[in-house]
Amino acid sequence: MAIDILLTLLTVVFSLMVVFSKKTVVAAFSLLMTLLVIAMIYFQLGTVFLSAVQVLVNAGAIAILFVFVMMLINLEQFQNNREKSKWKLIVSTLTMLVLLGVFALVINNNIEALSVVNLTDNSMKTLFAKLFDVYYLPFEMATVLLLASIVASIVITSHDKAEKLEEK
Amino acid sequence: MEFAAFIVFFLIACTLAGVLLGISSLLGQKRKTVREMDIYESGVNPVGSATRQYDIKFYVTAILFLLFDVEIVFLLPWAMAYKETTNTGFMIGGFVFFMVILLVGYIFVINSKALKWEE
Amino acid sequence: MLEAAIEILLKTVVILALPLGALPLIIHVERRGAAFMQKRLGPNRVGPFGLLQPLADVAKFMFKEEVHPTHVKPFFYTAAPVVALVVALLPLACIPVAGPIEAFGRTIFPEVFRSDMGIFFAFAVSALGSYGILLAGWASNNKYSMLGALRACAQMVSYELSLSTSVVAMIFVYGTNDIHQMISSQTGYWFGVIPQWGFFYQPVAAMLFLVGIFAESNRLPFDLAEGESEIVAGYHLEYSSMKFALFFMAEYIHMIALSALFIIMFFGGYSLLPGFDLIAGNNPALIVVLQVASLVIKVALMIWFFVWVRWTLPRFRYDQLMNLGWERLLPLGIANLIVTVLFVYFRNR
Repeated sequence: MAIDILLTLLTVVFSLMVVFSKKTVVAAFSLLMTLLVIAMIYFQLGTVFLSAVQVLVNAGAIAILFVFVMMLINLEQFQNNREKSKWKLIVSTLTMLVLLGVFALVINNNIEALSVVNLTDNSMKTLFAKLFDVYYLPFEMATVLLLASIVASIVITSHDKAEKLEEK
Repeated sequence: MEFAAFIVFFLIACTLAGVLLGISSLLGQKRKTVREMDIYESGVNPVGSATRQYDIKFYVTAILFLLFDVEIVFLLPWAMAYKETTNTGFMIGGFVFFMVILLVGYIFVINSKALKWEE
Repeated sequence: MLEAAIEILLKTVVILALPLGALPLIIHVERRGAAFMQKRLGPNRVGPFGLLQPLADVAKFMFKEEVHPTHVKPFFYTAAPVVALVVALLPLACIPVAGPIEAFGRTIFPEVFRSDMGIFFAFAVSALGSYGILLAGWASNNKYSMLGALRACAQMVSYELSLSTSVVAMIFVYGTNDIHQMISSQTGYWFGVIPQWGFFYQPVAAMLFLVGIFAESNRLPFDLAEGESEIVAGYHLEYSSMKFALFFMAEYIHMIALSALFIIMFFGGYSLLPGFDLIAGNNPALIVVLQVASLVIKVALMIWFFVWVRWTLPRFRYDQLMNLGWERLLPLGIANLIVTVLFVYFRNR
């Protein structure tokens, strides 16, 4: 019991650090820590698979992108881009209040979706069976979406067009 | 239970690394000279800073890795679900479609020469 | 409760002590192996056959001055070696050193935690290995370190893709993702002599995985992260004394953990080596001992293979490395997966 409270607290602390830390680097690594602590929460709930996927995709690939950006550009020139602004505070407080309200509604009304959530590796297997049976179309659509993102990432990062224009 | 075991393992591993670092900082020699605190750049005076512009290809590699990694992570539950299902033909059809789209993306990446390092 | 706590502690200590205790020996074998291949003697003065040399090295690391340069980012600079070592140790948590043991009226699983998804956990955690290197390279604030870290990271993620395709193929072939079931389906023999190891079903996947291990643990011919002729020592250039030693240990432990996974998937894990089953008979205690011995022997052979390759092949050029990863191994992995799936489907139909 104590350990889930600790993990939840850690998640909250690290995600607050992502938003409010003054240094971009600290924010990036706090994001990584948030993702890893969430993976630990999945593990604690009993789905080793979900926590492994969380580590593999979110912490292992997405967070690496952030860290890469941080390393590839000279951060010294952006030292003060995370200045304190009251707008940031107001907006994030409002968002948090709205989210809390939604959670309160969900918990209060005892929505059925929540009561049947029972995260274990066995329930994950049921989920896979459904995913590759009833929900095959959305699954295939996800791969089409990935194809689109592959094309987009190549187009955005390649300089071919700019170089051709310069040659002209 | 599994989680408790993992946490114990994790904490002991952390303590081990910490203790090893602690030992060397306790026992190690303490003789600080100014020169050895400097950036090592093969013995000459350091030029410029380390955070400079690096090749965009490192970033492209990371972003493409992310996308292909997600595709392969989709295949892991697929391989697990295959043995449970009775409707194998349907599963295989979906797999072939998935692989075709993956290959289209892969061929696009190779043709765009985004990952060519020669020039 | 107390019993469970003691069990967890015992398993943790044993599983940490096995690779860490073997480390000095492995480093000695590496140095003597290098000497053997280069027709020199190698370290042979300290103790019999120079066996005490690694211990002397450890003592030296402890008493060395810990240089903490002024230009580094202090917190991340100190955290990086710890991260590297801890992350390298984590995959060991779900690698079984022997089969399930029936003792004290219940079944004891000789891994730190038992889960049928353990193999994914091990892969996911070993993929985090790039963070220790990235942190080190960035925190050192040195051009060579930075370049080494970027190179290492791009290389590790590229080869992880082909490695993952081989994992998918193996899970498909075995029809299970549980490590113990995977191993038990490799225990039989063909013609009474050839063990039914996964290697014989999936040689291409085995090859992809093997190359992946070399790239993931930054071993020659994939050690561009520290290519000493180009970027001096790469990411650990600014590290000294025990901090450097931690990186060194992390590299070897990463190697051991990935080799163990390779052996589980392709060479029968802890299943008895041919001939051992004749010695073991039906004595359960003896079987457990021989299972641990089989795993240790297999990992030791893998380590020798690493040493052998290190002093045989020259280092790649960086563009060759990336081309090999993206234009050769990844399509090979995908093709292998497609062929495997279609073959299994049409054979069972």
